[in-house]
This record gives sequence, structure tokens and C-alpha cells, in this order.
Amino acid sequence: MRHAITVSNLSKGFKHYHTGKPTTFMEAMLSGLRQMQPIEQFWALQDVSFSVAPGEMLGIIGHNGAGKSTLLQLIGGVGYPDKGKIQVRGRVGALLDLGAGFHGDLTGRENVLVTAIVAGLTASEVKQRFDSIVEFAELKQFIDSPVRTYSTGMQMRLAFSVAVHTCPKVLLVDEFLSVGDLSFQAKCLQRIAELKEKGCAIVLISHSAEQIQELCDRALWLRQGQVVAYGEPEVVAGQYISEMRSQTQQRTPNRPAQLTGSGAELRINENRFGSLEIEITNVKLLPLDTIESGESLCVEIEYNAPQAIKSPIFSIAISQEDGQTCLDINTLDMQVPMTIVQGKGNLKLQIERLDLKQGNYFVDVGIYEKDWAYAYDFHWHTYLLTVNSSYSNKGILAPPMRWEINTLPVLRDLSMIN
Amino acid sequence: MVTRFADSGLQHRWRLPYLWDLLRSLVDRDMKLTYKRSVLGVAWTLINPLLQLLVFAFVFQIVLPVKIPQYASYVFAGLLSWNWFQTALYQATGVIISSRSLIRQPRFPVAILPIVTVTTGLIHFMLALPILIAFLLIDGIQLTPVILFLPILQILQFAFTVSCAYFLAALNVTFRDTQHTLGVILQLFFYLTPIFYDLKAIPKEYWYIYALNPMVHIVTSYRQILMWGVPPDWMAIAIIAGFTAILWPLGYWLFKRQSRRFVEEL
Repeated sequence: MRHAITVSNLSKGFKHYHTGKPTTFMEAMLSGLRQMQPIEQFWALQDVSFSVAPGEMLGIIGHNGAGKSTLLQLIGGVGYPDKGKIQVRGRVGALLDLGAGFHGDLTGRENVLVTAIVAGLTASEVKQRFDSIVEFAELKQFIDSPVRTYSTGMQMRLAFSVAVHTCPKVLLVDEFLSVGDLSFQAKCLQRIAELKEKGCAIVLISHSAEQIQELCDRALWLRQGQVVAYGEPEVVAGQYISEMRSQTQQRTPNRPAQLTGSGAELRINENRFGSLEIEITNVKLLPLDTIESGESLCVEIEYNAPQAIKSPIFSIAISQEDGQTCLDINTLDMQVPMTIVQGKGNLKLQIERLDLKQGNYFVDVGIYEKDWAYAYDFHWHTYLLTVNSSYSNKGILAPPMRWEINTLPVLRDLSMIN
Repeated sequence: MVTRFADSGLQHRWRLPYLWDLLRSLVDRDMKLTYKRSVLGVAWTLINPLLQLLVFAFVFQIVLPVKIPQYASYVFAGLLSWNWFQTALYQATGVIISSRSLIRQPRFPVAILPIVTVTTGLIHFMLALPILIAFLLIDGIQLTPVILFLPILQILQFAFTVSCAYFLAALNVTFRDTQHTLGVILQLFFYLTPIFYDLKAIPKEYWYIYALNPMVHIVTSYRQILMWGVPPDWMAIAIIAGFTAILWPLGYWLFKRQSRRFVEEL
């Protein structure tokens, strides 16, 4: 079969310029064009080869700066490779920066007309598909209002709808599925599956190994512009995850067991993992480590960072003794602004209500590198939380609830007849 | 070293009807944007040169009288042509920087962007043309068949502006102050183009330098066909056309190279 995308021995270099490279005429005149020459070149992509058949979905995984977006751009024909070849067959659709092309002052209708033509449709094709674009985006009532009155979710929906209605033969998707609400996400996924069925080749970028495993037929793992693995998504995703673990283990220094401020024992590579560039010096469960179901809980992490660390991720998970995770959250996903961390400090997670059933739980606490590359310090199954409740419950949740019993009037009437 | 797009995709992108649709929708968007951002909307296109005309008429008819017959028509013809050149060139110079999201679209024909800006300017020119004709008639000027050369002059000015825009927009990627510098230079050239004064007032010894400005000839040609009923100076037109024919491909190549560099340097 003829491939929709063929990339062979692709390399792409970028030039580094002097930090004092003049950006204006004036500066250029003064510095006499000396600093206009690049000082070094680095390879953003090196010897990358793969192919995607029609109807196939390729997932590209890797940390930030691994070259994923550069690769996607090159496939889209934005920029040219320095070495190697890229062959693409058919119309290319892109979900790159959704909604970036919209103009706030124009109405949804006017924006759709322009974006769809820019995406490659002719005016008459847009006219035919206009209703279906609007219907898919669920924006019928708002289509004649200026786009600046739309929420981000609405803009994304409209942009996504335009992109999929161009009937691309090749679809490029960059870290998407933060599009709108859950039901719309499901709709997007279904639409992508439909396109795939019709023979559209899809390239998806993600940093989530799970997403790649779930959706893709093949996976490609990039690290610093080079292919680390290419093949079955289960295998590649597995390798990717285990690499992250081993990175953490390699970086875990040897150190005798330590006690936290509240007396828990920490043993390296048993219940403590990480490079210890930031140390968690103490974890407190407040007000107490035994609470009633539905009470509030505050998890306080005290840490010490001898050296400045840029935007670390703090993560807290609560799990049952059998390993069932009840809560697993972090500062990155919740978009808590983190800048540079240095010295001693503390961070609190205030949980207003903890509606868990009675039982014993572990509170796992970790601090990670800003791209999840490895852990700085992770305390696993070290802090015990006990939840009490007045009744027993076989599930996980114990939200506030009550029974309401009403005698059915129908039954009473029947008995009266008899 | 190549990115190849086989199949209908590429051909489709280069089919003329598609490019025509793209040009139309982008120009339409530009027009709507100027229209929506002000209460007076498209009327500004007419108000701006009329106000300029009013000031020139006051200064050069009342304060420092110059002897140019049919002064209103004379100045207005010059203003329309010059304003088109100035506005389009200034806006097109920033076009790479301001259109990142378009340039990032797969296979977007980047080279259309300056053409869009200059076309928008042309439409404003056309909208103001009836006013110019009204001035001509009020000034008692007889329109002659040489007015049919108007499209040729417009095509020439269009091509000349686009060629310059390719160069300047490309330069603006490396030197971000190009647009500001251009604003100043254009203002100076406004005075070095015979818009509100008579060409005959230029002393002979300065003529050889003065005449190097192509806009001198373009503005004069408009007046020749519209006001004076004589054919334009074909020699000057041929020289500008030849110059444009060399400038266009060079500028085009540079523009494509720089716009590519711009999106790569994210």
C-alpha cells in the first residue's frame, strides 16, 4: 500500500545566535554586522524515519523539547528539512494551535469562512459544509456574535469543527483533547475515529503514554531529536514509562534511613525514591491523621531545596491499602503557578471534604522534575490516614446522602378498592 | 532536502480558483475589520484624503498661494495614489510578524499576504475614485478616452508596491524596526513626490536625483490621463515596469525564505 506519510532520514538543524544579535537596524549599524553570524548549530531532529499508512494513527511521545512539534511542523510543510525526505499525499489538516487564527472582532460565521478557506477549501465547498460545521460545534445560536464573546471552549470547538470538515487525508494533532467539555471531547475522538476509518492518516503528539496506548496503532518515542523506539504502542509506551522509573532510581543517592519530622521512617528505594535535589522534610496530615468521613483534611508538605529548582511539580495521591487510587492530583494539571523553588518552604493542599468510606489509606507525596522526567523525592506508602464512619460501605465514595422513603399512593388506592 | 507533496493536495493549493477564493476571503476580512473597528467605517477611506485636501487647499491657495489650475483635482489625484502606496506598503511590511497563525497553517501560500494588503488598498482607492471624478467634473475637466489607461497604471503601481513589500517584509523579520523606519522615510518621500506642488517647480539641476523616485512618475501619469487628457509617459512606465520585473522575483524569494525562518524560530 502507498503510504500517506513517508519520512526518511530526516534531520533538521537550528542555528544558535549570539545573545547580542542585533534585532534593529540601529544595533546592527553600531555592532557592524559582526554578531549576525550563528555561533553554533544544534540538531532538533536527527535521522528520523517512519511512515504512516492511510487509516493509521501514529503517536509521538517524548519530553518537552524532544523535537515533537518541529517534526509535526515539517510534516505540515512549514519549514524544510536539512537532510532527508518527507513525502505527504493528500490534503493536510492540522489541529495545531486551535483558534489562534480567529479574529475577535469578526463573527463566528465570518471567521469560519476565512479559516476554512485558509485550511484549503474553496468558497463553494465551504458554503456546502457550513451548516454541518456549525452544527458539529454546537454553536448555532452564537454563530453571528463576535468571536471575542465566545469562551475558550467555544472557540476550540469551532476551530476543531472547521479542521475536521476539510476532510483531510493527513491530520496532524498537537496535544489536544483539552477541547471543551468531556462530552465534546468524546465527540472529537469519535470524529477522529471516523476520519481514520475513511483512510485518513493521523499523527498525534502527546506526553501521556496512556493516551498513546489507548488511541494509536503505532508509536514513536523521541528524545533530543532522535528516535529511541518505534513500533507497537504498548511496547513503546511501556519502555517510556520504565525509562522514567529507572531515571529516578539511577538518580536516587545512597543514604541511611531517615526519620521525618513527625517520626515516619524513610528508607531509600523502599518507600523513598528520587534524586533528593529537593527533599520532603516532613508531611503533616491536619488536623489529625484520623478523621471522620466527610471532614476536611489538609496535607502539608515541608520541603528543603538547597539549590534553586525551576517549576517542580508537587503531587499528592490517596490510595486504599489494596492499591486502589482514590485521588491523584498535581500542581501542573491544576495549573498552580510554580516558579523557582529554593530553600525551605511548605505547601498545603486543603481538601474541603474528604468523602471517603471508612478504612485505612496511604497518602503518597512526591515532587517531580518539571517535565515529569524523574522524581526529586517521592514518599510511597509512608503516611497513614484513617477514616472513620458510622456505617459500613463497600465502595469508595461516601458523599453526604440520606434515604427518603415515601409510601406509594398507588398501592394505598388499590388496597382501598379491595 | 525536500518536502514533496504528491497527489491532488498540492495541485489543489495552486489551482487559480482556490487562490482567488483565498485572496477574496482575506481581503474581505481586512475590509470587515477596518469597517468594524470604527463608527464611521469605510467612510474613513473618503474622509482622510478629503481632510488632507482641505488643509492643502487652505495652505497653498490662501496662505502661500501656488499657481496650479484645478488645484482640488490636482491634489486629490496625487493623494489617492500616494495614500494607497503609503498605507499598503507600511502595513505589508509587518505582515510576516502579524500573520504567524496563517503562516503556520500547512501549505499556506505565504506569498499571498502582501498581495492581500495591497488589494485592500486598491479597493479603498476604487471607493474614492467617484469622488475624484466628481472633482474633475466640478473643475470643468473633459474626460477623454486616455482614461482607459487607468487600469494599466493601477496594475503597475500594484506590482511595484507588492515588490517593495516583499523586500521590506522580509527585512522586517531580521530587523524589527524596519516598519518604524519605513514610516519616517515614507513621510519624507511624501514631500519628495509632487502631490501638492507643481512638478515644474523642481529646478533642472536637481531633476536627475528627484526623478529617481518612481512615485514621481506614477503620480504624474495618473494626472496625465485623468486631468490633462494626454497619454502617460510610456518611457518612464516601461522603466518602472522593467525594474519591477527584476525586483518581484528577488523579493518573492527573499520573502518566502524569511517567512519560513520566522515560523521555525518559535
